[in-house]
Amino acid sequence: MNKIPYGVGVFFVALAAVVLVDQSAVASGAAGAESVTDRINHATEPYDSMRVSTAYELSVKTVQSKEQYQGGDFKVLARKDQISRFRCSVCHNDKPVLIQNGALFTHGDVKLNHGLGNNQLTCNECHSMGNRDFLVDKEGQKIDFDHSYQLCGKCHFRQKRDWLGGAHGKREAYWAGERVVRNCTSCHNPHSPAFATKMPATYSLPLDE
Amino acid sequence: MDSRTNNEDQIETEGMADNKSSRRQFLKKMSIAAAAGSASLVVGGCGGSLKTEEMGLKWEEYFKEHYRLMTQEEKDATVKRLERLAKLERGIDVQMSNQEPHEQVLYGYAFNISRCKGYMDCVEACVKENNLDRRAKTQYVRIFEMDPGKLDPTAGDGQFFHEVPVDNKFYMGVQCFHCENAPCIKACPTKATWREPDGIVVVDYDWCIGCRYCLAACPYWGRRFNWGDPEVPKEEINLNQHYLGNRMRMKGVMEKCTFCVQRTRKGKLPACADACPTGSRVFGNLLDPNSEIRFVLKNKKVFRFKEDLGTEPKFWYFMD
Repeated sequence: MNKIPYGVGVFFVALAAVVLVDQSAVASGAAGAESVTDRINHATEPYDSMRVSTAYELSVKTVQSKEQYQGGDFKVLARKDQISRFRCSVCHNDKPVLIQNGALFTHGDVKLNHGLGNNQLTCNECHSMGNRDFLVDKEGQKIDFDHSYQLCGKCHFRQKRDWLGGAHGKREAYWAGERVVRNCTSCHNPHSPAFATKMPATYSLPLDE
Repeated sequence: MDSRTNNEDQIETEGMADNKSSRRQFLKKMSIAAAAGSASLVVGGCGGSLKTEEMGLKWEEYFKEHYRLMTQEEKDATVKRLERLAKLERGIDVQMSNQEPHEQVLYGYAFNISRCKGYMDCVEACVKENNLDRRAKTQYVRIFEMDPGKLDPTAGDGQFFHEVPVDNKFYMGVQCFHCENAPCIKACPTKATWREPDGIVVVDYDWCIGCRYCLAACPYWGRRFNWGDPEVPKEEINLNQHYLGNRMRMKGVMEKCTFCVQRTRKGKLPACADACPTGSRVFGNLLDPNSEIRFVLKNKKVFRFKEDLGTEPKFWYFMD
């Protein structure tokens, strides 16, 4: 008696399965909302920040970097037009210099404090002896003043890796649009690269006030 | 990717729409009638047509809708009214924006505790950018001088009057962390504070009733209350404003860091990140795998403050 036909039985089982699956999906959706770290990790599609149309070009002078940032090109702030007496070969040539101008020309204003303890660098560790308009590395490679990060990175390779990725140094003005970052020498004085101590701009009240 | 958050937000606003009382509509109509009546009285009384205009605008402002329930036209209208009111009340030409968030953008922040030197240029830049109360010395960003091994800014000192950095100290900045699961939003009884789709937690100052529940709920001391009318010298007011950002607040409302919404939605860095001379502050789009902030999260040692609370702050500390 009351035999349920085979077909109907299968139908009910299938229906129950669908309902159960549906319920479990709802339950997991409600309980396990995706955390922000999951959401970040799942975002693998690069964002074209040029879409932010208000991120326009900067007024500062930049040069195209000779290295890559996460597979893409970027720009760095130019350095040469920041050096007041560039080009160096204007003075550093074969012509004689008047003795009266000697004091001005000896770079007496440069305080060299680069290196730990007694292992201070000297001028020609970085500046080329042969061509004063360029820097030079230990392999004798000429390096342009605008691309000094190539020289700095020879020793400070960890900082350079972070700088290329964006964990060291900083972008200029915009998070979106074309990537323009500061050069090493935009922030650090190459002759005395450690940041100086100074008085803070203001003060902070305690947290509970 | 964004659909989940959008749906979530949708549900919240839908709930609000259902509750929308006809009482509000009624009052609004009444108010406009009353404004017309009183305006004519004022005109008859002293003939100050500017005063009449100001009063009319204030009536309109008082009975406007919650920002998230406004149509685009209503948003544009309130921004126009506020610009005009700023001109009438303070004599300044404000450009107020109501720019919407960009799609596929979720803002995130990273702070390098081994690079920060405690110069506090960020604090000063923030005060100027966001028109913060100079009299009460309101600050969104705070920097504390910390002893090594301590990671609790309550143990730090923010009032250092000596040259920085000091040997064997480190500097830690705190501000609003723009939690994805923000306790302050849950605490607000009027839904005057919410998280935008791009992750910024904002306040509608005109909807805030000043109960300060959010201030009590925030475990990060991220919110500030205006005990008095904020005082900013007229010539120092930043005229580039956003409705949800640095427009002038009033007495009795909450305010907080908005990641400089008026700047960041234009593609700019927040004022604090832009002002930092040490590069300790990294800001960018968390949903972009090629952004600087993602590089930091992937390659550096990072931690979040009070991560065990489950608030999901979008502000990471990192070290070299």
